[in-house]
Amino acid sequence: MGVRLYREPRLDSPILIASWPGIANIGLMAVDTLRVALKAEEFGEIEPWDFFYPKQVLIRKGILERLEFPSSKFYFKRVESRDVILFIGEEQPTEEGRIYAEGRKAYRMANLVMDVAEKFGCHRLYTSGAAVALTHHTMRPRVWAVPNNEKLITETKGYENTVLMSDIEGRGGQGSITGLNGLLLGVAKKRGLEAICLMGEIPVYLQGLPLSYPRASKAVLEVIGRSLAIDLDLSRLDELDQKIEKKIEEFYQQIPLEIRGQLDRLRQAASAQPAEPGPITEEEQKKIMEDVEKFFKRQGGQG
Amino acid sequence: MNQGHAAKIHKEPGLRHSRLVLGWREDIGDFGQEATGYLIQKLRAEEFAEIAPEDFFSLGGVSVEGNLARFPESKFYVCQEHELVIFQSDSPAAEWYWFLNAVLDVAEHHCGIREIYALGAMVSLEAHTAPRQLLSVANSAEMKESLSRYELAGDMDYQTPPGERPTLNSFLMWLAKERRIPGVSLWAPVPFYLAAMGDAQAQKKALTFLSDRLDLRIDFSDLDREIRQQNERLARARSRYPQVDDYIKRLESNLILSQEENGDLLKKVEEFLGEED
Repeated sequence: MGVRLYREPRLDSPILIASWPGIANIGLMAVDTLRVALKAEEFGEIEPWDFFYPKQVLIRKGILERLEFPSSKFYFKRVESRDVILFIGEEQPTEEGRIYAEGRKAYRMANLVMDVAEKFGCHRLYTSGAAVALTHHTMRPRVWAVPNNEKLITETKGYENTVLMSDIEGRGGQGSITGLNGLLLGVAKKRGLEAICLMGEIPVYLQGLPLSYPRASKAVLEVIGRSLAIDLDLSRLDELDQKIEKKIEEFYQQIPLEIRGQLDRLRQAASAQPAEPGPITEEEQKKIMEDVEKFFKRQGGQG
Repeated sequence: MNQGHAAKIHKEPGLRHSRLVLGWREDIGDFGQEATGYLIQKLRAEEFAEIAPEDFFSLGGVSVEGNLARFPESKFYVCQEHELVIFQSDSPAAEWYWFLNAVLDVAEHHCGIREIYALGAMVSLEAHTAPRQLLSVANSAEMKESLSRYELAGDMDYQTPPGERPTLNSFLMWLAKERRIPGVSLWAPVPFYLAAMGDAQAQKKALTFLSDRLDLRIDFSDLDREIRQQNERLARARSRYPQVDDYIKRLESNLILSQEENGDLLKKVEEFLGEED
């Protein structure tokens, strides 16, 4: 039980880009948009039984016809500049009710993805996800990057609209990436393969909403597109973004004025000119974060 | 996972062409546990194997039920006279694929299983006085056909709604289908206001079918007595609380109660039956 390949395409030193569901499905939406844009072809899957509980049963006229499991599929595309393998997982393998993958199953799945990467001679791997940030939804989301290899730091710093996670103010060079996005980075390092995790920023107050955040997915895709040296049509994400923006704005108006006032300062801080009052201090950031967390905890308690 | 060691066979059951009936403990109104327990007791079935819990259950302590410590159990019983195997188990909390395969391995390799009957209950919005119909979902057209002479509702169309997951019985039936073992899930409707305390009538519906189908020749007089007592208690609840009577009358007239009324009926019936206990 493991990987099942339907075919073995000849690929020239491809890049593997992997994604799973996570906060606002930022990474998943980015890679799925890429799959559609590239018209990538499915060529294999990780067999699901050992990892997942079934997601759907289909019964017709009293006969069990089909049982479906969350899928974990591989796609490929020969691109002029660089061949690509995409991995899209419909769920993260979790244990004992945890939200994100961890433990034996997650490690095993990460290794299966790496087996495919090595089999096809991948020289680089990207994972993608969300970065919960003290930012405002009217601001362009940045992309936080974490490479697994020191040599990649200079390259990563050169990406447009991208910041190294360790350079984010107040983090002191520290941080963590939960779930398979992080785990895969580690497994790649163990096997000597270079890898970078790209995370699109989502405002802290939107992280718990059952909404996608297409503008962050777009930010991630812009970085990947440049890395692949291909022009991607991202209008699908723009359309989605417009639809969701209204819902976000409606939600935002429901946040109490005092909290909203503080969140609005994030927007002002971003557009502050030198003559204007300086950006929000670290202490103020902490306070905003605490107030926002308190508010959403209260909301959760009421719900 | 060391799947080969999950099953512990205490004594070979000595069966070659048997049938398997199974039920889960955490079923609605303890239906699976009660129905399989009834069979074990009536047929004097003997335990012969179990599945070790360590790979399938969270073993962070024990649960306490009825003042007693409880530990997850997954046991096989055999009734040689009827070539019947009964499996009664807590629902596994992890590694479902391996757990269900361990069940099928014991059934197939140690008991020569030819058919599987998986018992389950479902919440019904109908009154307890309404006639019950057992729902069936077969894992093959042949199995469905072989059940056609019984009074089963066996033409259901269903797709798991978003946000929900298939039942363990569906998972098991699919695995049995992969192994070409015919099987059927049987679903006994339990009125929602009896879901917490159990429903002898639902048990009898499923057990009568099994007795006929598997030629078990069970005398159900004790279960009939239990049903009579249950109906008498519910009749007393109706006389004590006119509101309960009104709710049940409306259900008997095929009217739907509001969510609040459902909750009120459930609460009052539970309170009344709790007082009588």
